[in-house]
Amino acid sequence: MLRLQNVYKKFGDNVVLNNVSLDVNQGDVVAILGPSGSGKTTLLRCAGYLTKADSGTLILDDRQYDMKKISSRDLREYRQKVGFVFQNFNLYGNKTALGNVTLGLRVSQKMPKAQAEEIGKSLLERVGLADRMDYYPSKLSGGQQQRVAIARALATNPEVVFFDEPTSALDPELTGEVLNVIKQLADEGWTMLVVTHEMEFAKKVATRVVFMEDGEIVEENNAKEFFENPQKERTKEFIFKSTTWASTAKKDDSGDNSTKQETIES
Amino acid sequence: MTERILTELVESFWKLFMVGLKVTIPLTLAAFSTGLLIAFLVALVQIAKVPVMRRLVRVYIWIIRCTPMIVQLFVVYFGLPTIGIKFSSFVSAWLVMSLSIGAYCSETVRAAIESVPVGQLEACYCDGLTFWQAMIHVIVPQALRTAFPPLSNSIIGLVKDTSLAYSVALVEILATAQRIAARTYDYFWLYLEAGLIYLIFCSVLTVLQRKAEAALERRR
Repeated sequence: MLRLQNVYKKFGDNVVLNNVSLDVNQGDVVAILGPSGSGKTTLLRCAGYLTKADSGTLILDDRQYDMKKISSRDLREYRQKVGFVFQNFNLYGNKTALGNVTLGLRVSQKMPKAQAEEIGKSLLERVGLADRMDYYPSKLSGGQQQRVAIARALATNPEVVFFDEPTSALDPELTGEVLNVIKQLADEGWTMLVVTHEMEFAKKVATRVVFMEDGEIVEENNAKEFFENPQKERTKEFIFKSTTWASTAKKDDSGDNSTKQETIES
Repeated sequence: MTERILTELVESFWKLFMVGLKVTIPLTLAAFSTGLLIAFLVALVQIAKVPVMRRLVRVYIWIIRCTPMIVQLFVVYFGLPTIGIKFSSFVSAWLVMSLSIGAYCSETVRAAIESVPVGQLEACYCDGLTFWQAMIHVIVPQALRTAFPPLSNSIIGLVKDTSLAYSVALVEILATAQRIAARTYDYFWLYLEAGLIYLIFCSVLTVLQRKAEAALERRR
């Protein structure tokens, strides 16, 4: 349904995306994993037209878009079909929760106020914030802000929703409420592309996992196979390092320091 | 202070106060609102990086900020008529003061707009808004809140700067005080009284600023 083809992006002399191609099918929840600087966020931002790629093609619903140059009409049409959730929420500070969700509908789609608010209210109810509609962002917790941001991204009823590390800016305590909302969306069949560091989330919610490093896709598989049977050495190492810290820390409790150090260095 | 001076001061107080209401305040409000409009346009032209215009507005800011307002007033009121352009005292003062407020406040407004996190602009784009829609609905309202204290400074400064229009024959507070004093020779008392009138007007603005800031604070 969504297809990214040969996305190429350079910052200065640094190649951040080296001809990356990615297919997302209807109903897929694709988790993009990878170390910092691997280009996963840039890929997502290019797909959301927040960063212009140097070259690349994007296909959504048989409509083809150039990722370097796009007319403002095409961009408007495309943006109605995708939603974007940011790491730092980026809620509008001068709007209430409901105002945040309805702004795009009212200004961009010229929807009447009552109709937009009806949609806004039902979305905020779905993310569990029925009692916070009139709150300004500064009065909401990080988890609540991110849930408002998710409701906002869903307002235009998009075909695909992009998430850029949706829980990275949150207190550990608050990540759960956000991940639960995303999981609920996955169960409802939304198509999503999620850049994340949450391995458990990728394991449990994603249908497919993409592992990136140095601007390239190293490995791509369905979630079960990816975690249980990784093919590439680099992928094995990444999964091992990202999931074994807790168990080595336990060994540390029993006084076995040498094991811990070996594990971390290996 | 004799009884004569006291009677004179009471009489002149109302005269000066009424001149303030009829000349100084209208000039301040007219120049400030026009100036603020210019300030926003100039700031946005720079932020939106409108080609050519962004360079022109830098030249405008440079010239206005680096020449004295009284010289600008003389050029407009005494200079322009020699090439056939004639403005009244009030219009000359309004023109010069609008341009001055526009230049100074554009820097305030630009800094305030840039203080709104850029992510909110990106969120607007994702919501399908254009740059200008994002500015109107999201960025500028928040920038105004930040810019409010320095802008209040500017309007209070402007109330006092209107006295410069005395030099282009505008009969405002200072000119009126001077005329009365010229008859009675009580310069000391009348100039003190003129100062008192400015003090009153600016105090009212100070109180209004505090109230407005409290109201803005409640809406966030």
